[in-house]
Amino acid sequence: MIAVAIDEDVDKVRAFTDGITYPVLIDADHLLTELYAISNVPTVLLIDEDDRIAHPNWSAFATDTFREITGIDSAAQLAAIRAWVLEGTIPIDPDDARDAVGDLSSEEEQAKLWFRIGVHLHHAGDDEQAGTAFDTAAALAPHDWTVRRAMLPLRGGDPFGQGYLDLAAEYNAAGRPYHGVASARNA
Amino acid sequence: MTDEPILLADGPLVELDRLDATIGWTLKPQGLCRDETCVIVPDRSALERDGLIDVTAVAALLDRPSVVDGGSGIAAIGAPRAARRGALVDLVAPDFVLPDLDGTPHALSDHRSKKRLLVAFSSW
Repeated sequence: MIAVAIDEDVDKVRAFTDGITYPVLIDADHLLTELYAISNVPTVLLIDEDDRIAHPNWSAFATDTFREITGIDSAAQLAAIRAWVLEGTIPIDPDDARDAVGDLSSEEEQAKLWFRIGVHLHHAGDDEQAGTAFDTAAALAPHDWTVRRAMLPLRGGDPFGQGYLDLAAEYNAAGRPYHGVASARNA
Repeated sequence: MTDEPILLADGPLVELDRLDATIGWTLKPQGLCRDETCVIVPDRSALERDGLIDVTAVAALLDRPSVVDGGSGIAAIGAPRAARRGALVDLVAPDFVLPDLDGTPHALSDHRSKKRLLVAFSSW
């Protein structure tokens, strides 16, 4: 088990990790969102002994804490993961796996780079130029949560407040585009 | 690892002898080289501007996206597209090195020959 925080706030991430013994890594530059075309968290990947992706980007939750919001039943996902670990049961047809994620568009690629520039400017104390970079990123990839929601705390916003609700409304209106397997929904 | 994200706070133009330190590749007579690998440079002059090397032009040859912020002058270079396509099309997990909460680097390949559950999460 390897947990990677798509996050530059080490203190906030550390707060989640009490009692955790597996590696928790910090991906401040959002490298994995480029390498694996990750557009939201949590995203889970199953990788086998030979570095083959047994299951690509999966909007998977370990508990049903958010089931009312997402409609995702964690039991089915946990069962599939357990069967893969214990019995080697293939969790998804490889042809479906290849179609599941979708490559990043040129705009989505650029958005991630503009986000990174915004973070740098924010840390350099130039929030005006950071804001311009963040606005550019948001316009290029309006449905990439690793860009739009991640920037909220860097701009003095609350990623659990109205900004989040506005993002969710936009995202729903756009048909919930997600680079990966969204999981069967009950809702 | 030179495939990691690159941010050039002073902009995309660097001295030729700084190219290796910047992006991990060197311009040689046979092309753009890293270790034993060389990429052909069809038009060397396209890489140069004002006597300096334009790292975004080098990035394009390496099939890596780039952005230059005209306002701040900062250039950002992304990961090689080949790595992502390997993941999406060939289902091969690209390796990466990232620090843990204490700053110790960990690679995905540290745990090769084991099944791995990779969970991307965040505080936001």
